[in-house]
Amino acid sequence: MDWNLLGLSFVTVFLSELGDKSQLAAIALSGNSKSLRAVFFGAAAALLLASFLGVMLGEGVSQILPTRWVKAIAAVGFAVMAIRLLWFEEHSPESEEV
Amino acid sequence: MKLSSPAPSLLISELEPPKRLPLYPPSNTKEIAENGLNEECSQPSTPSELLSHRQEIEIFFSTFFTIFVAELGDKTQVTTMLISAESQAPWVVFVGAGAALIATSLLGVLLGRWLASRVSPRVLETATGTILLIVSILLLWDVVSA
Repeated sequence: MDWNLLGLSFVTVFLSELGDKSQLAAIALSGNSKSLRAVFFGAAAALLLASFLGVMLGEGVSQILPTRWVKAIAAVGFAVMAIRLLWFEEHSPESEEV
Repeated sequence: MKLSSPAPSLLISELEPPKRLPLYPPSNTKEIAENGLNEECSQPSTPSELLSHRQEIEIFFSTFFTIFVAELGDKTQVTTMLISAESQAPWVVFVGAGAALIATSLLGVLLGRWLASRVSPRVLETATGTILLIVSILLLWDVVSA
């Protein structure tokens, strides 16, 4: 086991991920949903799969998945959730969405 | 005459917090759970049963997909790609990156829960909406600048 490499990849990824949008999304989703456990496992599984694909496929990932389109769709999805929370759920104190 | 109306409401609003606040840990967590704010705490006594298995799976998958698509092609993924390409040891890089990602999402989730226990549901919804809006703008920025 190459501990230097392990440490390097841990520190690099940890620092680049702090305050990044996926962590923001995890904060938002966990604050507003009822199951902390489900949000945590969902977020961790998604991130692990994304980095697994990155590590194993390397540059090939962009050929397999049209990342720009997927991201555009994700952006729209987040915007819809945001708008629903900000404008349409003011009367209901606990929302079960997201 | 005019003063009489603000005064009672002010009194009531000042009376409201003590209903929750003076309760200390054991009863406090119970009350928060009853309020529907924190349904699922680490305590086994809190009503995690209220949330059905199905709902939990739904939350899992909605979180999974939103974060997965948000993360694709992100700088973190690019970083891990570069490190693994350079080092020729993809598994080591994956273990390191994976541990870091689990740590950051745990931090995020705990921070979210902590904030949720601190502010009113109303404020929380506005904050959540704002954060999600920021995330969506960041994603759009990625799409445009890529």
